[in-house]
Amino acid sequence: MAVNYKSVFDIIGPVMIGPSSSHTAGAVAIGRAANRIFHDKPTNVIIHYYESFAETHKGHGTDYAIISGILGFEPDDSRVPNAIPIAEKQGIKVTFIEESEDSPIGHPNTAIIELSNEQRKVIVSGCSIGGGTIEIREIKMDGFDIKPKGPLPILLMQGHDDDHRSVSAKLATVTSVNDEATYHTADRTLYEYDLENRLKNHDLDDLAKKHSQLVYL
Amino acid sequence: MYMSIKELVAASTTTDTPVSELMIQQEMSKTSSSREEVWSAMERNLDVMEAAVKRGVEGDGVFSTTGLTGGEAVLLKKYREQGHTLSGDIMMEAVQNAISTNEVNASMGVVCATPTAGSTGTLPGVLFVIKDRLNLDHEQMVRFLFTAGAYGMVIANNAGIAGATGGCQAEVGSASAMGAAAAVEAAGGTAEQSSEALAMAISNLLGLVCDPVAGLVELPCVKRNAIGAGNALISADMALAGLTNKIPADEVIEAMDKVGKGLPKALRETGLGGLAATPTGIQMKMRIFGNTVKVGE
Repeated sequence: MAVNYKSVFDIIGPVMIGPSSSHTAGAVAIGRAANRIFHDKPTNVIIHYYESFAETHKGHGTDYAIISGILGFEPDDSRVPNAIPIAEKQGIKVTFIEESEDSPIGHPNTAIIELSNEQRKVIVSGCSIGGGTIEIREIKMDGFDIKPKGPLPILLMQGHDDDHRSVSAKLATVTSVNDEATYHTADRTLYEYDLENRLKNHDLDDLAKKHSQLVYL
Repeated sequence: MYMSIKELVAASTTTDTPVSELMIQQEMSKTSSSREEVWSAMERNLDVMEAAVKRGVEGDGVFSTTGLTGGEAVLLKKYREQGHTLSGDIMMEAVQNAISTNEVNASMGVVCATPTAGSTGTLPGVLFVIKDRLNLDHEQMVRFLFTAGAYGMVIANNAGIAGATGGCQAEVGSASAMGAAAAVEAAGGTAEQSSEALAMAISNLLGLVCDPVAGLVELPCVKRNAIGAGNALISADMALAGLTNKIPADEVIEAMDKVGKGLPKALRETGLGGLAATPTGIQMKMRIFGNTVKVGE
Protein backbone atom coordinates (compact mmCIF):
# COMPACT_ATOMS: atom_id res chain seq x y z
CA MET A 1 0.00 0.00 0.00
CA ALA A 2 1.31 3.42 -0.97
CA VAL A 3 1.39 5.70 2.04
CA ASN A 4 0.70 9.13 0.63
CA TYR A 5 -0.78 10.75 3.70
CA LYS A 6 1.98 10.87 6.29
CA SER A 7 0.92 13.81 8.43
CA VAL A 8 -2.29 14.68 10.26
CA PHE A 9 -2.08 18.05 8.50
CA ASP A 10 -2.50 16.33 5.14
CA ILE A 11 -6.01 15.48 6.40
CA ILE A 12 -6.81 18.46 8.65
CA GLY A 13 -5.47 21.02 6.18
CA PRO A 14 -4.17 22.67 4.15
CA VAL A 15 -5.49 26.12 4.90
CA MET A 16 -6.23 27.32 1.41
CA ILE A 17 -8.17 29.62 -0.89
CA GLY A 18 -11.19 27.67 -2.24
CA PRO A 19 -12.75 26.04 -4.10
CA SER A 20 -11.02 22.63 -4.53
CA SER A 21 -8.23 20.95 -2.58
CA SER A 22 -7.33 18.62 -5.42
CA HIS A 23 -7.89 21.01 -8.33
CA THR A 24 -6.76 24.24 -6.62
CA ALA A 25 -4.48 23.57 -3.61
CA GLY A 26 -3.07 20.40 -5.25
CA ALA A 27 -2.53 22.29 -8.48
CA VAL A 28 -0.53 24.91 -6.57
CA ALA A 29 1.56 22.07 -5.15
CA ILE A 30 2.26 20.55 -8.60
CA GLY A 31 3.26 24.02 -9.83
CA ARG A 32 5.57 24.49 -6.85
CA ALA A 33 7.24 21.15 -7.57
CA ALA A 34 7.87 22.27 -11.16
CA ASN A 35 9.23 25.58 -9.85
CA ARG A 36 11.72 23.77 -7.59
CA ILE A 37 12.81 21.46 -10.39
CA PHE A 38 13.30 24.26 -12.94
CA HIS A 39 14.95 26.51 -10.35
CA ASP A 40 15.01 29.49 -12.71
CA LYS A 41 12.62 31.94 -14.32
CA PRO A 42 10.78 30.37 -17.26
CA THR A 43 9.79 32.39 -20.33
CA ASN A 44 7.37 29.78 -21.62
CA VAL A 45 4.93 27.60 -19.67
CA ILE A 46 2.74 24.93 -21.29
CA ILE A 47 0.27 22.97 -19.15
CA HIS A 48 -1.32 19.78 -20.45
CA TYR A 49 -4.46 18.69 -18.57
CA TYR A 50 -5.94 15.18 -18.57
CA GLU A 51 -9.29 13.62 -17.53
CA SER A 52 -10.91 15.40 -14.54
CA PHE A 53 -8.34 18.20 -14.77
CA ALA A 54 -9.13 18.66 -18.48
CA GLU A 55 -12.90 18.68 -17.87
CA THR A 56 -13.06 20.91 -14.80
CA HIS A 57 -9.94 23.10 -14.62
CA LYS A 58 -11.87 26.25 -15.54
CA GLY A 59 -14.42 25.89 -12.73
CA HIS A 60 -11.85 25.02 -10.09
CA GLY A 61 -9.37 27.81 -10.73
CA THR A 62 -6.77 25.18 -11.63
CA ASP A 63 -5.17 27.52 -14.20
CA TYR A 64 -4.24 30.29 -11.82
CA ALA A 65 -3.50 27.75 -9.07
CA ILE A 66 -0.87 25.93 -11.11
CA ILE A 67 0.70 29.22 -12.27
CA SER A 68 0.76 30.38 -8.61
CA GLY A 69 2.82 27.34 -7.78
CA ILE A 70 5.17 27.95 -10.71
CA LEU A 71 5.63 31.49 -9.34
CA GLY A 72 6.38 29.98 -5.91
CA PHE A 73 3.21 31.09 -4.07
CA GLU A 74 1.70 29.17 -1.12
CA PRO A 75 -1.92 27.83 -1.45
CA ASP A 76 -3.30 30.49 0.94
CA ASP A 77 -1.45 33.42 -0.68
CA SER A 78 -3.99 36.12 -1.57
CA ARG A 79 -2.21 36.61 -4.93
CA VAL A 80 -3.28 33.09 -6.04
CA PRO A 81 -6.37 34.20 -8.05
CA ASN A 82 -4.29 36.83 -9.91
CA ALA A 83 -1.35 34.59 -10.77
CA ILE A 84 -1.85 34.54 -14.55
CA PRO A 85 -1.70 38.33 -15.08
CA ILE A 86 1.21 38.46 -12.61
CA ALA A 87 3.09 35.83 -14.67
CA GLU A 88 2.32 37.59 -17.95
CA LYS A 89 3.58 40.88 -16.53
CA GLN A 90 6.85 39.07 -15.79
CA GLY A 91 7.10 38.14 -19.46
CA ILE A 92 6.05 34.49 -19.05
CA LYS A 93 4.00 33.07 -21.92
CA VAL A 94 1.32 30.70 -20.59
CA THR A 95 -0.60 28.06 -22.59
CA PHE A 96 -3.20 25.55 -21.35
CA ILE A 97 -4.07 22.44 -23.38
CA GLU A 98 -7.01 20.11 -22.62
CA GLU A 99 -5.89 16.66 -23.74
CA SER A 100 -8.63 14.23 -24.70
CA GLU A 101 -6.80 10.95 -24.04
CA ASP A 102 -6.35 9.26 -20.67
CA SER A 103 -3.58 10.41 -18.35
CA PRO A 104 -0.17 9.02 -19.41
CA ILE A 105 0.69 8.65 -15.71
CA GLY A 106 -2.52 6.83 -14.79
CA HIS A 107 -4.43 9.32 -12.62
CA PRO A 108 -7.58 11.38 -13.42
CA ASN A 109 -6.17 14.57 -11.90
CA THR A 110 -3.08 14.90 -14.07
CA ALA A 111 -1.17 17.99 -15.17
CA ILE A 112 1.99 17.82 -17.24
CA ILE A 113 3.97 21.05 -17.02
CA GLU A 114 6.60 22.13 -19.55
CA LEU A 115 8.81 24.96 -18.34
CA SER A 116 11.45 26.50 -20.59
CA ASN A 117 13.67 29.48 -21.20
CA GLU A 118 16.62 29.99 -23.56
CA GLN A 119 18.92 27.81 -21.47
CA ARG A 120 16.83 24.87 -20.40
CA LYS A 121 13.60 22.90 -20.56
CA VAL A 122 12.02 20.56 -17.99
CA ILE A 123 8.82 18.49 -18.10
CA VAL A 124 7.11 17.55 -14.84
CA SER A 125 4.18 15.10 -14.68
CA GLY A 126 2.17 15.42 -11.49
CA CYS A 127 -1.16 14.24 -10.21
CA SER A 128 -3.33 15.56 -7.42
CA ILE A 129 -4.57 12.64 -5.37
CA GLY A 130 -6.96 14.44 -3.00
CA GLY A 131 -6.97 16.88 -0.10
CA GLY A 132 -4.13 18.90 -1.64
CA THR A 133 -1.67 16.00 -1.58
CA ILE A 134 0.18 15.29 -4.83
CA GLU A 135 2.42 12.74 -6.49
CA ILE A 136 5.18 13.44 -9.01
CA ARG A 137 5.43 10.50 -11.38
CA GLU A 138 7.79 11.70 -14.11
CA ILE A 139 10.45 14.38 -14.47
CA LYS A 140 12.40 15.07 -17.64
CA MET A 141 15.37 17.32 -16.90
CA ASP A 142 18.99 17.74 -18.01
CA GLY A 143 18.79 14.64 -20.21
CA PHE A 144 17.37 12.43 -17.46
CA ASP A 145 13.96 10.74 -17.58
CA ILE A 146 13.16 10.20 -13.92
CA LYS A 147 10.18 8.05 -12.97
CA PRO A 148 9.52 8.14 -9.22
CA LYS A 149 6.80 5.96 -7.68
CA GLY A 150 4.99 9.20 -6.88
CA PRO A 151 4.60 9.92 -3.15
CA LEU A 152 6.60 12.82 -1.72
CA PRO A 153 9.02 13.73 -0.25
CA ILE A 154 11.53 13.04 -3.02
CA LEU A 155 15.15 14.20 -3.07
CA LEU A 156 17.09 14.35 -6.36
CA MET A 157 20.85 14.82 -6.43
CA GLN A 158 23.20 15.08 -9.40
CA GLY A 159 26.68 14.00 -8.47
CA HIS A 160 29.11 11.12 -8.08
CA ASP A 161 29.44 8.02 -5.98
CA ASP A 162 31.02 9.91 -3.10
CA ASP A 163 28.19 12.47 -3.14
CA HIS A 164 25.72 9.59 -2.97
CA ARG A 165 27.54 8.11 0.03
CA SER A 166 27.56 11.45 1.80
CA VAL A 167 23.88 12.16 1.11
CA SER A 168 22.87 8.65 2.18
CA ALA A 169 24.83 9.02 5.42
CA LYS A 170 23.12 12.32 6.21
CA LEU A 171 19.65 11.00 5.30
CA ALA A 172 20.16 7.96 7.52
CA THR A 173 20.33 10.25 10.55
CA VAL A 174 16.99 11.95 9.84
CA THR A 175 14.65 9.62 7.91
CA SER A 176 14.33 6.21 6.40
CA VAL A 177 14.70 6.04 2.61
CA ASN A 178 11.82 4.00 1.15
CA ASP A 179 13.25 3.69 -2.32
CA GLU A 180 16.32 4.69 -4.32
CA ALA A 181 17.01 4.87 -8.03
CA THR A 182 19.98 5.92 -10.14
CA TYR A 183 19.80 7.48 -13.61
CA HIS A 184 22.65 8.05 -16.09
CA THR A 185 23.34 10.23 -19.08
CA ALA A 186 26.60 10.06 -21.09
CA ASP A 187 28.50 12.13 -18.58
CA ARG A 188 26.32 12.53 -15.50
CA THR A 189 24.55 10.58 -12.79
CA LEU A 190 21.41 11.46 -10.86
CA TYR A 191 20.30 9.82 -7.63
CA GLU A 192 16.65 9.70 -6.53
CA TYR A 193 15.71 9.14 -2.88
CA ASP A 194 12.07 8.56 -1.88
CA LEU A 195 11.91 9.60 1.76
CA GLU A 196 9.62 8.50 4.58
CA ASN A 197 9.62 11.79 6.48
CA ARG A 198 9.85 15.43 5.43
CA LEU A 199 13.26 17.01 5.96
CA LYS A 200 13.68 19.83 8.41
CA ASN A 201 14.94 23.08 6.87
CA HIS A 202 18.27 22.94 8.69
CA ASP A 203 18.92 19.37 7.49
CA LEU A 204 18.11 20.41 3.94
CA ASP A 205 20.44 23.41 4.29
CA ASP A 206 23.23 21.09 5.46
CA LEU A 207 22.75 18.93 2.38
CA ALA A 208 22.51 21.92 0.02
CA LYS A 209 25.81 23.32 1.34
CA LYS A 210 27.70 20.23 0.21
CA HIS A 211 25.72 19.36 -2.93
CA SER A 212 24.82 22.23 -5.22
CA GLN A 213 22.50 20.36 -7.61
CA LEU A 214 19.78 19.25 -5.23
CA VAL A 215 16.04 19.19 -5.88
CA TYR A 216 13.77 18.59 -2.88
CA LEU A 217 10.09 17.96 -3.49
CA MET B 1 2.09 4.65 11.62
CA TYR B 2 -1.42 3.36 12.22
CA MET B 3 -2.45 1.72 8.97
CA SER B 4 -5.82 0.29 9.99
CA ILE B 5 -8.74 1.22 12.23
CA LYS B 6 -8.20 -2.07 14.03
CA GLU B 7 -4.61 -1.10 14.96
CA LEU B 8 -5.72 2.35 16.07
CA VAL B 9 -8.52 0.99 18.27
CA ALA B 10 -6.27 -1.72 19.73
CA ALA B 11 -3.54 0.81 20.60
CA SER B 12 -6.06 3.12 22.23
CA THR B 13 -7.74 0.33 24.18
CA THR B 14 -4.65 -1.51 25.42
CA THR B 15 -2.80 1.64 26.49
CA ASP B 16 -5.94 3.44 27.69
CA THR B 17 -4.94 6.46 25.59
CA PRO B 18 -7.37 8.52 23.53
CA VAL B 19 -6.88 8.42 19.76
CA SER B 20 -6.22 12.18 19.76
CA GLU B 21 -3.17 11.58 21.96
CA LEU B 22 -1.94 8.70 19.78
CA MET B 23 -2.21 11.01 16.77
CA ILE B 24 -0.25 13.80 18.47
CA GLN B 25 2.51 11.35 19.40
CA GLN B 26 2.67 9.89 15.89
CA GLU B 27 2.88 13.38 14.37
CA MET B 28 5.67 14.41 16.77
CA SER B 29 7.72 11.35 15.92
CA LYS B 30 7.08 11.44 12.15
CA THR B 31 7.96 15.10 11.77
CA SER B 32 10.52 15.41 14.60
CA SER B 33 8.40 18.23 15.99
CA SER B 34 7.71 19.30 19.55
CA ARG B 35 4.27 18.90 21.10
CA GLU B 36 3.92 22.70 21.08
CA GLU B 37 4.62 22.91 17.33
CA VAL B 38 2.10 20.21 16.48
CA TRP B 39 -0.50 21.60 18.86
CA SER B 40 -0.22 25.21 17.70
CA ALA B 41 -0.42 24.19 14.03
CA MET B 42 -3.74 22.49 14.79
CA GLU B 43 -4.92 25.53 16.76
CA ARG B 44 -4.34 27.67 13.66
CA ASN B 45 -6.48 25.30 11.60
CA LEU B 46 -9.24 25.48 14.21
CA ASP B 47 -9.13 29.29 13.99
CA VAL B 48 -9.56 29.16 10.20
CA MET B 49 -12.51 26.78 10.55
CA GLU B 50 -14.20 28.98 13.15
CA ALA B 51 -13.73 32.09 10.99
CA ALA B 52 -15.30 30.39 7.93
CA VAL B 53 -18.33 29.20 9.93
CA LYS B 54 -18.92 32.79 11.06
CA ARG B 55 -18.08 34.47 7.74
CA GLY B 56 -20.83 32.68 5.83
CA VAL B 57 -23.61 34.07 8.04
CA GLU B 58 -22.42 37.67 8.34
CA GLY B 59 -24.76 40.17 6.71
CA ASP B 60 -26.37 38.65 3.63
CA GLY B 61 -23.76 35.88 3.54
CA VAL B 62 -21.20 35.10 0.85
CA PHE B 63 -21.82 34.37 -2.83
CA SER B 64 -19.77 32.64 -5.50
CA THR B 65 -18.86 34.56 -8.65
CA THR B 66 -21.07 32.24 -10.75
CA GLY B 67 -24.15 32.92 -8.62
CA LEU B 68 -24.83 29.18 -8.29
CA THR B 69 -24.40 29.17 -4.52
CA GLY B 70 -24.40 31.59 -1.61
CA GLY B 71 -26.61 33.25 0.96
CA GLU B 72 -28.33 30.04 2.07
CA ALA B 73 -26.54 29.68 5.40
CA VAL B 74 -28.14 33.03 6.28
CA LEU B 75 -31.57 31.68 5.33
CA LEU B 76 -31.03 28.73 7.66
CA LYS B 77 -29.94 31.04 10.48
CA LYS B 78 -33.13 33.11 10.13
CA TYR B 79 -35.26 29.97 9.91
CA ARG B 80 -33.70 28.58 13.07
CA GLU B 81 -34.43 31.82 14.92
CA GLN B 82 -38.15 31.15 14.46
CA GLY B 83 -37.73 27.99 16.53
CA HIS B 84 -39.81 25.60 14.47
CA THR B 85 -37.23 23.37 12.80
CA LEU B 86 -38.44 19.85 12.10
CA SER B 87 -35.20 18.04 12.91
CA GLY B 88 -34.27 20.09 15.97
CA ASP B 89 -32.03 23.10 16.42
CA ILE B 90 -28.80 21.19 16.97
CA MET B 91 -29.17 19.33 13.69
CA MET B 92 -29.99 22.50 11.78
CA GLU B 93 -27.17 24.40 13.41
CA ALA B 94 -24.79 21.68 12.19
CA VAL B 95 -26.30 22.02 8.72
CA GLN B 96 -25.96 25.81 8.85
CA ASN B 97 -22.28 25.59 9.88
CA ALA B 98 -21.55 23.08 7.14
CA ILE B 99 -23.25 25.13 4.44
CA SER B 100 -21.71 28.36 5.68
CA THR B 101 -18.22 26.87 5.42
CA ASN B 102 -18.77 25.49 1.92
CA GLU B 103 -20.29 28.75 0.72
CA VAL B 104 -17.11 30.48 1.87
CA ASN B 105 -15.12 27.86 -0.04
CA ALA B 106 -17.19 28.32 -3.21
CA SER B 107 -16.72 32.08 -2.99
CA MET B 108 -12.93 31.53 -2.97
CA GLY B 109 -12.59 32.41 0.68
CA VAL B 110 -10.06 30.83 3.05
CA VAL B 111 -10.92 27.40 4.44
CA CYS B 112 -9.17 24.49 6.10
CA ALA B 113 -9.61 21.42 3.89
CA THR B 114 -10.93 18.56 6.09
CA PRO B 115 -10.01 16.31 4.36
CA THR B 116 -10.77 18.16 1.11
CA ALA B 117 -12.11 21.59 0.19
CA GLY B 118 -15.23 20.08 -1.38
CA SER B 119 -16.01 18.39 1.95
CA THR B 120 -14.68 21.22 4.08
CA GLY B 121 -18.00 22.00 5.84
CA THR B 122 -18.75 18.56 7.25
CA LEU B 123 -16.26 18.52 10.13
CA PRO B 124 -16.92 22.11 11.32
CA GLY B 125 -20.62 21.32 10.99
CA VAL B 126 -20.18 18.64 13.63
CA LEU B 127 -17.53 20.28 15.80
CA PHE B 128 -19.18 23.62 16.51
CA VAL B 129 -22.50 22.13 17.60
CA ILE B 130 -21.03 19.50 19.88
CA LYS B 131 -18.84 22.26 21.32
CA ASP B 132 -22.01 23.79 22.78
CA ARG B 133 -23.82 20.51 23.35
CA LEU B 134 -20.94 18.94 25.31
CA ASN B 135 -19.41 22.20 26.62
CA LEU B 136 -16.10 21.39 24.96
CA ASP B 137 -13.24 23.66 25.95
CA HIS B 138 -10.56 24.88 23.54
CA GLU B 139 -8.27 21.91 24.27
CA GLN B 140 -11.05 19.40 23.61
CA MET B 141 -11.84 21.08 20.28
CA VAL B 142 -8.22 20.82 19.18
CA ARG B 143 -8.24 17.19 20.28
CA PHE B 144 -11.38 16.58 18.21
CA LEU B 145 -9.37 17.59 15.13
CA PHE B 146 -6.47 15.26 15.97
CA THR B 147 -8.90 12.37 16.43
CA ALA B 148 -10.67 13.15 13.16
CA GLY B 149 -7.28 13.37 11.45
CA ALA B 150 -6.15 10.00 12.81
CA TYR B 151 -9.19 8.21 11.41
CA GLY B 152 -9.02 10.25 8.21
CA MET B 153 -5.41 9.19 7.58
CA VAL B 154 -6.38 5.54 7.69
CA ILE B 155 -9.22 6.15 5.22
CA ALA B 156 -7.00 8.25 2.93
CA ASN B 157 -4.15 5.73 2.85
CA ASN B 158 -6.42 2.72 2.33
CA ALA B 159 -9.10 4.10 0.02
CA GLY B 160 -8.43 7.73 -0.92
CA ILE B 161 -10.19 11.04 -0.49
CA ALA B 162 -10.46 12.44 -4.04
CA GLY B 163 -13.80 12.76 -5.84
CA ALA B 164 -11.97 12.19 -9.12
CA THR B 165 -10.87 8.72 -8.02
CA GLY B 166 -13.52 7.67 -5.48
CA GLY B 167 -16.60 9.86 -5.95
CA CYS B 168 -18.21 12.03 -3.26
CA GLN B 169 -18.32 9.07 -0.86
CA ALA B 170 -14.52 9.50 -0.64
CA GLU B 171 -14.86 13.21 0.19
CA VAL B 172 -18.06 13.91 2.13
CA GLY B 173 -18.25 10.23 3.13
CA SER B 174 -14.74 10.32 4.59
CA ALA B 175 -15.34 13.70 6.27
CA SER B 176 -18.58 12.39 7.78
CA ALA B 177 -16.83 9.27 9.09
CA MET B 178 -14.04 11.36 10.61
CA GLY B 179 -16.60 13.63 12.26
CA ALA B 180 -18.61 10.69 13.61
CA ALA B 181 -15.55 8.99 15.10
CA ALA B 182 -14.23 12.20 16.67
CA ALA B 183 -17.66 13.15 18.04
CA VAL B 184 -17.85 9.78 19.83
CA GLU B 185 -14.48 10.40 21.51
CA ALA B 186 -15.51 13.95 22.46
CA ALA B 187 -18.71 12.56 24.02
CA GLY B 188 -16.70 10.12 26.14
CA GLY B 189 -17.23 7.04 24.00
CA THR B 190 -14.62 4.35 23.46
CA ALA B 191 -12.34 3.97 20.44
CA GLU B 192 -14.33 0.84 19.59
CA GLN B 193 -17.50 2.96 19.47
CA SER B 194 -15.67 5.52 17.33
CA SER B 195 -14.80 2.80 14.83
CA GLU B 196 -18.45 1.69 14.75
CA ALA B 197 -19.58 5.29 14.16
CA LEU B 198 -17.05 5.58 11.34
CA ALA B 199 -18.20 2.31 9.78
CA MET B 200 -21.87 3.34 9.94
CA ALA B 201 -21.17 6.82 8.55
CA ILE B 202 -19.36 5.46 5.49
CA SER B 203 -21.85 2.64 5.00
CA ASN B 204 -24.68 5.20 4.89
CA LEU B 205 -23.03 7.22 2.14
CA LEU B 206 -21.46 4.36 0.16
CA GLY B 207 -21.77 4.90 -3.56
CA LEU B 208 -22.30 8.66 -3.40
CA VAL B 209 -21.20 10.04 -6.78
CA CYS B 210 -19.21 13.19 -7.58
CA ASP B 211 -21.26 15.10 -10.16
CA PRO B 212 -20.50 18.82 -9.82
CA VAL B 213 -22.55 21.08 -12.10
CA ALA B 214 -20.19 22.82 -14.55
CA GLY B 215 -17.36 21.08 -12.71
CA LEU B 216 -17.66 23.65 -9.93
CA VAL B 217 -17.48 22.85 -6.20
CA GLU B 218 -20.94 24.33 -5.68
CA LEU B 219 -23.94 22.21 -6.78
CA PRO B 220 -24.50 19.77 -5.16
CA CYS B 221 -21.30 19.95 -3.09
CA VAL B 222 -22.39 22.66 -0.64
CA LYS B 223 -25.52 20.79 0.50
CA ARG B 224 -23.80 17.39 0.45
CA ASN B 225 -21.88 18.76 3.42
CA ALA B 226 -25.18 19.23 5.22
CA ILE B 227 -25.85 15.52 4.87
CA GLY B 228 -22.23 14.77 5.79
CA ALA B 229 -22.58 16.65 9.08
CA GLY B 230 -26.06 15.27 9.84
CA ASN B 231 -24.97 11.72 9.05
CA ALA B 232 -21.93 12.12 11.32
CA LEU B 233 -24.09 13.16 14.28
CA ILE B 234 -26.60 10.38 13.63
CA SER B 235 -23.85 7.77 13.30
CA ALA B 236 -22.13 9.01 16.46
CA ASP B 237 -25.39 8.84 18.39
CA MET B 238 -26.10 5.34 17.10
CA ALA B 239 -22.63 4.17 18.17
CA LEU B 240 -22.93 5.80 21.60
CA ALA B 241 -26.29 4.04 22.00
CA GLY B 242 -24.48 0.74 21.44
CA LEU B 243 -25.50 0.06 17.85
CA THR B 244 -22.88 -1.64 15.73
CA ASN B 245 -22.31 -1.76 11.99
CA LYS B 246 -21.71 -5.54 11.92
CA ILE B 247 -19.32 -5.08 8.97
CA PRO B 248 -16.00 -3.93 10.53
CA ALA B 249 -14.66 -0.44 9.75
CA ASP B 250 -11.58 -1.60 7.82
CA GLU B 251 -13.74 -3.76 5.55
CA VAL B 252 -16.12 -0.84 4.99
CA ILE B 253 -13.16 1.35 3.96
CA GLU B 254 -12.00 -1.36 1.55
CA ALA B 255 -15.52 -1.59 0.15
CA MET B 256 -15.55 2.18 -0.39
CA ASP B 257 -12.30 1.93 -2.32
CA LYS B 258 -13.70 -0.81 -4.55
CA VAL B 259 -17.00 1.02 -5.11
CA GLY B 260 -15.06 4.16 -6.05
CA LYS B 261 -12.92 2.29 -8.56
CA GLY B 262 -16.11 0.85 -10.06
CA LEU B 263 -17.73 4.25 -10.64
CA PRO B 264 -17.80 5.37 -14.27
CA LYS B 265 -15.64 8.37 -15.13
CA ALA B 266 -18.76 10.52 -15.68
CA LEU B 267 -19.48 10.21 -11.94
CA ARG B 268 -15.97 10.98 -10.74
CA GLU B 269 -15.59 14.77 -10.79
CA THR B 270 -15.69 15.29 -14.52
CA GLY B 271 -18.94 17.27 -14.43
CA LEU B 272 -20.32 15.02 -17.19
CA GLY B 273 -22.81 12.84 -15.29
CA GLY B 274 -25.42 12.89 -12.54
CA LEU B 275 -26.81 16.35 -11.70
CA ALA B 276 -24.20 17.94 -13.98
CA ALA B 277 -25.79 16.15 -16.96
CA THR B 278 -29.38 17.29 -16.22
CA PRO B 279 -30.87 19.84 -18.65
CA THR B 280 -30.67 22.55 -15.99
CA GLY B 281 -27.11 21.57 -15.05
CA ILE B 282 -26.05 21.76 -18.70
CA GLN B 283 -27.75 25.17 -19.11
CA MET B 284 -25.81 26.47 -16.11
CA LYS B 285 -22.55 25.20 -17.55
CA MET B 286 -23.25 26.90 -20.88
CA ARG B 287 -24.20 30.15 -19.18
CA ILE B 288 -20.93 30.17 -17.25
CA PHE B 289 -18.48 28.83 -19.84
CA GLY B 290 -20.22 29.45 -23.18
CA ASN B 291 -22.13 27.30 -25.63
CA THR B 292 -19.15 25.36 -26.97
CA VAL B 293 -18.54 23.33 -23.82
CA LYS B 294 -18.56 19.56 -23.69
CA VAL B 295 -21.79 18.40 -22.04
CA GLY B 296 -21.64 14.63 -21.92
CA GLU B 297 -19.34 11.69 -22.47
